[in-house]
Amino acid sequence: MKVLIVEDERSLAAEMEAFLKKAFYLCDLAYTAKQGLTKMEENQYDFILLDLGLPDKDGLHVLGEARKNCPDAAYIIITARGQLEDRIQGLDLGADDYLPKPFSLLELQSRMQAIARRKFAVSDSVMALGDFTIDMNKRMIYFGEEEIVLSRKEFDLLSYMLLHKNRPLTRMQLSEHIWGNFSDDDYDSNYIDVHIKNIRKKLAAFSSVEWLQTIRSVGYKIKV
Amino acid sequence: MKLFTKLTLFITLSKMAIVILFVLLLPLLVDHVASRYNDYYLGEQKKKVLHVIQQNGIDFYLQGEDSYGSYTMLKEEYISLEPVGKIQIPDTIATLRRIVEADTLTYRVLTHIFSYGSHRYILEVGKTTETIGQYNRPLQAVALYVLIGLIVMTILIDLIFTRLLLRPLGQIIKTQLLNRKFPFREQIPPVNTTTTDFRYLDSSLTALMDRIKTAFEKEREFTSNASHELMTPISILQHKMENMLMDGALDEEMQHRITGMMKTLNRLKKIVQSLLLISRIENDQFARSDTFSIHALLTEVMEELGHRLEDRELQFSMNISQKVVLQGLNHDLIFQLFYNLVNNAIRYNKQQGKIVISERKAGDGVYAVRVTDTGIGIPAQELATVFNRFKKVERTEQEGYGLGLSIVQAIAGYHGISLEVESVQGRGTTFTVLFPPGVLSPSPGKNFNISTTGNG
Repeated sequence: MKVLIVEDERSLAAEMEAFLKKAFYLCDLAYTAKQGLTKMEENQYDFILLDLGLPDKDGLHVLGEARKNCPDAAYIIITARGQLEDRIQGLDLGADDYLPKPFSLLELQSRMQAIARRKFAVSDSVMALGDFTIDMNKRMIYFGEEEIVLSRKEFDLLSYMLLHKNRPLTRMQLSEHIWGNFSDDDYDSNYIDVHIKNIRKKLAAFSSVEWLQTIRSVGYKIKV
Repeated sequence: MKLFTKLTLFITLSKMAIVILFVLLLPLLVDHVASRYNDYYLGEQKKKVLHVIQQNGIDFYLQGEDSYGSYTMLKEEYISLEPVGKIQIPDTIATLRRIVEADTLTYRVLTHIFSYGSHRYILEVGKTTETIGQYNRPLQAVALYVLIGLIVMTILIDLIFTRLLLRPLGQIIKTQLLNRKFPFREQIPPVNTTTTDFRYLDSSLTALMDRIKTAFEKEREFTSNASHELMTPISILQHKMENMLMDGALDEEMQHRITGMMKTLNRLKKIVQSLLLISRIENDQFARSDTFSIHALLTEVMEELGHRLEDRELQFSMNISQKVVLQGLNHDLIFQLFYNLVNNAIRYNKQQGKIVISERKAGDGVYAVRVTDTGIGIPAQELATVFNRFKKVERTEQEGYGLGLSIVQAIAGYHGISLEVESVQGRGTTFTVLFPPGVLSPSPGKNFNISTTGNG
């Protein structure tokens, strides 16, 4: 998938690029609205990550123009302004999602994945995980034919770790995904441990869960 | 007491005093004037008599007799002329009793001695004292009526004029002080008056308010700008750390350190986000138009926090009527308010403690929700400053960010909600959220219109 990052903070753009490259996205960078619009004329993109606070043009204007050039792309608005009107206006203008700064790169990828599933009908919704299969659309996990019942939060956790497989995830990152802005590292990380323990217990009744690893003093990782 | 009331009282009382004084003095005054006039009248009568004698001779009266006396029909007045010896006294006017045709009457009598030819005569001109005062009563009454009429008129004129005069002051008080809500955003036109004192007062107040407004706006702008500007570097750091953590070559020790850094950065992020939220609330960036069930909202809060309750084995009970519907509020902000209060109640509770949420309806339309915990409590000397930004109450283990209650206060202030806090150290704390009258929806159970606006 091809991604255009329109962001005037160069180091921020660079970090996003580095992260997305590892997840096998192809990235182009633009630091101004003008550069971004030129790139959109030259190439077609699947994702356009658009910062609203560009130096030469207001991001919401850029969004309107960009959609003429790349009508099929998925747009994710990124902004430090974070005002409610911006979000509503952005979504009205056809943005697919909205991420207020500072956001987690894991969250960005998770949102992109969700949009891809919705918008591009990507059919990777059923995945194998050890001896288990996970259906992301139906939000189910199976051992062979047998269905294993996980709570909503347990499934959220497991699917998030699966999306970011082979990466160490901190308890804070996990709790932020589950509880969003309301997460509180002081005592939610404890609860992540409880969830992981429950997931392990429920799945281990059927088969080995060695792929769900604990990383000491950091958090957890799904290794496949 | 209002200035106008005071002036009204003063004007009325002073005029009343004048009326009373006048009523007391009037009889004396009228009597005095009447008797003075009577004396003058007697003098004039004497002059007439002397004039007649001079013209026509004394026999015009005496007709050959020794003396002469004459009186009017009802004996109100009399004249007598008698010869007199050698005594010489000046004219006197005195109140004397005289017998006239067997009637003893009291007269005011002028006595005059004069010579005519070789004889000396004494002339008496008298008038009964009764007739002297005969017009006093009606005169007094008329004077009193006229006076009362005049006083009423002047009171009315005074009041009308005072009212007109003081109107600009009332206007200044109303527009500049009573109707103004912090942070004084609307522009007030200068008051229309020719009274320079009021103009000065008005312009001074406007200038003062402008200064407060500017100072407040500067602070708000600073908080807002600083927070925004901080977001980008925080983003960069966060992304760098996330990318570093993913680097497979890192050893356990480095991973641990990066995790620690991310935690600290997360804390910074939360502080900045809280400050931004407060500045957005203070910037009026939230609509206050939601209608929702308080029971449903608190249930949402408890669902969001359920895992933390479980984690600390807290007992929780909620006594809130499902029928209570609140209106004219921002759902998400009120959610945040109770979220923070309950979160504190959990955070500072003891293991296996209790949290109770209850309601109270006061007669004057005030609806209150109380959040009570059995936690460590707040020392009395810190109760007053518990809502201040970055004011951290001494805690045993956990560290707060010091902004949760500031957010609560900002949200409360934005909605006109008052907050009360009671606490017994070691026993627990109760926060009471008092919604202003008018928030309770009169049609419970209807009009649910929860707009799902995010908190930006």
